[in-house]
Amino acid sequence: MESPIKISTQALCFYYHQQQVLHDISLQLPTNRITAITGPSGSGKSTFLMILNRLWEEIEGCSISGKVTVELDGRLQDINNKALPARVLRRKVGMVFQQPNPLPMSIFKNISFPLRLAHISDKNQTGHAVENALRQVHLWDEVKDRLNDDGRRLSGGQQQRLCLARALVLKPEVLLLDEPTSSLDPEASAAIEELLLALKAQCTLIMVSHYQDQIQRIADLRFEVREGRFISPHTEYKSASDV
Amino acid sequence: MRRFIESSITVFSWAAGLLLTLALLTLVGYLLKKGGSTLDVSLIFGDTAPLDALMLRRQVFDGLFPAIIGTLLLITGSMLIAIPVGIAAGIYMAEYCSGRIKSFFSLLFDILAGVPSIVVGLAGLSLTIFLHRYFSTQITTSLLISCLSLALLVLPYLIRTTQTALESIDPLIRRTAPALGASRLQNIVRVLLPNSISEIVGGIILATGRCAEDTAVIMLTGAVASAGLPRSIFNQYEALPFYIYYISSQYTGPEELARGYGAAILLILICAGLLLTALWMQRRLTTLLLYR
Repeated sequence: MESPIKISTQALCFYYHQQQVLHDISLQLPTNRITAITGPSGSGKSTFLMILNRLWEEIEGCSISGKVTVELDGRLQDINNKALPARVLRRKVGMVFQQPNPLPMSIFKNISFPLRLAHISDKNQTGHAVENALRQVHLWDEVKDRLNDDGRRLSGGQQQRLCLARALVLKPEVLLLDEPTSSLDPEASAAIEELLLALKAQCTLIMVSHYQDQIQRIADLRFEVREGRFISPHTEYKSASDV
Repeated sequence: MRRFIESSITVFSWAAGLLLTLALLTLVGYLLKKGGSTLDVSLIFGDTAPLDALMLRRQVFDGLFPAIIGTLLLITGSMLIAIPVGIAAGIYMAEYCSGRIKSFFSLLFDILAGVPSIVVGLAGLSLTIFLHRYFSTQITTSLLISCLSLALLVLPYLIRTTQTALESIDPLIRRTAPALGASRLQNIVRVLLPNSISEIVGGIILATGRCAEDTAVIMLTGAVASAGLPRSIFNQYEALPFYIYYISSQYTGPEELARGYGAAILLILICAGLLLTALWMQRRLTTLLLYR
């Protein structure tokens, strides 16, 4: 069964200080799948992710042309339409970075931070949401007795799961993952991979990865980027019915 | 050869640290030797009963109480003006300003940081004369003019420390909150500023010390040898640094000079107290903002 389209781009180009980084990208990404983007360093993979949540707007000297539409709350939205505030988009399109990046604050505050940003201040609601997010990434049992500890004191694998929980706490529809396991040991990587497979039931995952074996294990689709161009047609690793 | 250079650098570093510690100990020891004997209640309150003085029931004429209060008011007033302006300007420089305007303001703040305090004092005095001539003859040099002048003197420290603290935040941390849906202001208020507290408090400590010790500015803008406690910010006042300066240049006998040394010890104690308070606040604020 074909999966509906979650994200589509048309003639998408991206420029950094007049230098073209991405060239004429037109593609469609399906809902509730793990789409892997691969390619050599500097080819524009991470830039592509930053376009999907408009994080590029935080970097000076960037500009964009073309169209990107994402299905959010059941309707297609042009994400570059200024009527859609970036902060609203980013609550629906979460992101996990290559390096675990817990904020220098407590574990609890790290997870509840996106809720506070969204002006959700009810203590019960926040407490439940934090617990659910931590359970979802299998971190609750490890940290439930030290929620006020500094998030940076966790191990690398735990920190990345913390960041994943933080991205999940607002229940995003799309999750962008920029090489989420590259700084982790094989055991921690396996735990994250397992989580990602479980997560695709609830959101669409777009993942940048260098590891072909990882892509084969968990990705439903793969795109290859070279010098800013998506050169390969998507390759199905798993049939849609596997999902 | 490489080992020799490394050893030399290590020895030099140790020697520098030791020298600094020795210098500090010598200074404190010298002050204690010269003024330690004067350190008693009468140095602060003179013949007035301490409780009467503290409750403001009686004026202290022959003690340092008015100068201590004057110094504390001076520091508090100056910092109340300088901290919000300095931090706001630092935020502007780090987060909003760019290109030529940033270069222009940077140059301006560097020049301001290099202005000698006597010139700042003269500027305060000129302002007073201007206000006196064109607005009200009631306006004279006062605590307020001193606070404004001192605030101007320490502003560059606060601006630069805030700016540097914000600019040195890891780009990954800087981008984290926006990726979670934070607006620019939310990122500044909830992530960037709390993460820069240590450096900003460092700047505040530096600025507080500068306010506490400066004599050139206050001698031109409102500090006098004998004024009692100021009734308002529009009055002249006494201050410890000015008292030390005055006594050291006008003393009439060894006893009076010893009181000057005693005042210097009190000034150091006030600075140490303010430093400890700032460090305590830094720790409390960090815990409150980031971990509770």
